[in-house]
Amino acid sequence: MAENIATEQAKSPGNKNADRRIIIRTVGLKKSYMMKDVLTQALRGVDIAIYQGEFISVMGPSGSGKSTFFNMIGALDSPTVGRVFIDEVDVAQLTAEELAYLRCHKIGYIFQQYNLIKYMTALENVTTPMAFGGVMPDEARDRGMEILDLVGLKERWHHRPIEMSGGQQQRVAIARSLANNPSVLLCDEPTANLDMHTGQEIIDILVRLNTQKGVTVICATHDHRMMNICDRLMWIRDGQIERIANREDVHIELASIDDDKK
Amino acid sequence: MKELNIDNQPWLSMSRTVKITADGIRYRLFRASVTVAVIVVAVAFLMNILSESLIKRSIAGNTRERIQKSLLNSVWASKLTSPGSPESIITETAALSPNDDLYKETMGFAKLDAQGMAEFQAIAKKTNYIFEFFDNLDYAKRRDLIHTSEGVDILNYLSEPENMKVFNLGLSRYKSIQFDLSQEELDALLAQLPKLEKTIAQILESRKEANTKIIHALREKLPNANNDAERLSMALPNADKEFGDFIRQTGFVFNKETVAPIVAEQAKRLQDTTRMKNSIKDRPVRQLIAQEANILPADVNDVMMWDFLDNEKFAKRYIEKMAESGQNVEGLTPELLVSLAKGRKEAEALERAQRLTMDAGKGFMGLGERLAWLLCVSMLVCGIGIANAMMMSVTERFTEIATLKCLGALDGFIMIMFVLESCFMGVVGGTIGAIIGALIGLFRMLSSFGVNFISAIPVMDVIMGMIVSIILGTLLAAIAAIIPSWKAARLAPMEAMRVE
Repeated sequence: MAENIATEQAKSPGNKNADRRIIIRTVGLKKSYMMKDVLTQALRGVDIAIYQGEFISVMGPSGSGKSTFFNMIGALDSPTVGRVFIDEVDVAQLTAEELAYLRCHKIGYIFQQYNLIKYMTALENVTTPMAFGGVMPDEARDRGMEILDLVGLKERWHHRPIEMSGGQQQRVAIARSLANNPSVLLCDEPTANLDMHTGQEIIDILVRLNTQKGVTVICATHDHRMMNICDRLMWIRDGQIERIANREDVHIELASIDDDKK
Repeated sequence: MKELNIDNQPWLSMSRTVKITADGIRYRLFRASVTVAVIVVAVAFLMNILSESLIKRSIAGNTRERIQKSLLNSVWASKLTSPGSPESIITETAALSPNDDLYKETMGFAKLDAQGMAEFQAIAKKTNYIFEFFDNLDYAKRRDLIHTSEGVDILNYLSEPENMKVFNLGLSRYKSIQFDLSQEELDALLAQLPKLEKTIAQILESRKEANTKIIHALREKLPNANNDAERLSMALPNADKEFGDFIRQTGFVFNKETVAPIVAEQAKRLQDTTRMKNSIKDRPVRQLIAQEANILPADVNDVMMWDFLDNEKFAKRYIEKMAESGQNVEGLTPELLVSLAKGRKEAEALERAQRLTMDAGKGFMGLGERLAWLLCVSMLVCGIGIANAMMMSVTERFTEIATLKCLGALDGFIMIMFVLESCFMGVVGGTIGAIIGALIGLFRMLSSFGVNFISAIPVMDVIMGMIVSIILGTLLAAIAAIIPSWKAARLAPMEAMRVE
């Protein structure tokens, strides 16, 4: 029955994504933790289909199960009940090696705290996932420089994270997530630790990737500008999807932000 | 858009793994150096004990050799004048190899051919084993088994069937006693007892004859001396000349190249030493020392004399005083006196070394039980220290590990990374520790034994010990890192999402 909801949603008339390929699909996703002998339900049945090339924003207060949801669709955690399909591959069926391959090649992760490896230069940070994927060092270097160029940090390839600003670090992190040409970018509040201006830069890069390269971007955020440019918005509350809406159906007020910028 | 076909993630090449690990250590140099310090201390302790025991053991062997050599004179002095006992002959013969001088000598005295001598030695070996066996027993057991018999009498005692029964009964009762000879061997040995006794009697007879010859010759040659012992001590300095030839004539195998010069030299030194000891009887000589030591002449003794004689200037003045008081100073030179004084010191050092190395070579790796135990504890403490440091390193790097796993790192890579990190520190700490430990051991040993044992230091052994210590330190670090690494490898990648 749960499976039906997702497919129905995809086929429902008026959905602009109806003809597109589903890249991530969850079926009756439930997750519960034992915390101090109390069973906590983090997710209480989430069914969603995310389409290829989509830019989707996920919102929800802390403790809503947003992070758990992210871990599930990023193949970082396994659900208690239900299934996650990444391009119709059941994640639960994969071995540890295959999971590593999936994380390495198919999904790019962008974290709120950037999570760069502190002792590596920008270039090394970008080429590490390539090395894990078996790319030869020379090729990895060339590709790494290309990607750094893409995020506008070509000049700073030899800098360590500590020598860079938050925005620059986040851009390196984006470059790293792009290392193996992933199909999906999972962003966990990428602009939360940045000021207005650098936040906008990050958003611009993400949008460019989405529109030019067709990368699916799934973004947890509270940033209104991010909501403004996405295709779909999704609210999670108490471990369930509260609401899913297309961008055009939602009214977002950005006036004050525009004022700031000028 | 690209197809999603899931493959197996390849393993990262070792060189990349090493590079990432090395970069990580460089970034956390301080933390790493503290861990290295723990390893340094533990390995230094291990190496110190190891090198000390190695040096000690080597010095013990060296000391034994040198003491044996320094006793050569007195050994020959007693040998030339007394035939010895049956037991000493058996013990002596059991330890010989066919190339030894003493082997040929015994063969000559026993009037045996090579075949007979080999047989005699085989019997002597077994008999000697029996002597040792009973010597190591406590009184009660010994009395139980062989009553009060001693030496060759043990064999005579056991020859009685009645006594043999008692002996066997006793052996079967004392389970803890290990007697290596079978009943057949023992019976065969007892059957050969008359032959053994005959041979020994022959040896004793021949030796006595030789001794008598020597004593008579000495009495003829030196009629003025007080007794035979004095005559011998006067004759022995000539052992490398005509007296040596005479000794050889009597049947002793007195090696002209290896033994005679040493015996002669030692006899001469002994003579000189005695002469010097007697020299302080005269007042002018005593006064000289009393002046130097700032005491009354009456309190001067020969120990003080030797203390002062180790510089040539004083020795020269001393000889002048001796001549002044009418003593015979012929053949005495300052150099000789200094070398005599030094020789005395060396003998003292040897004696001290022998005392200090009494316990060498016992227990685990020659360390002694207590040290071995201490070593185990120190290794354990070090292991826990490393494990703790690695655990902290893992905890500190939760996010990093999780991020690496998000980027596609395999569990195995994370594990290898941490074990490698620990191994690096093990190698560095082990090397520093081994060098420090060896140096400390060296200095401690040199300061307690003195520099005249520097040639006895087993350099190769110490270097081998260092290599072993480094390997042990690395191994210890690797083992201690296994649990923390396993913990790191098992870390869920979603930790990376956690906001601190």
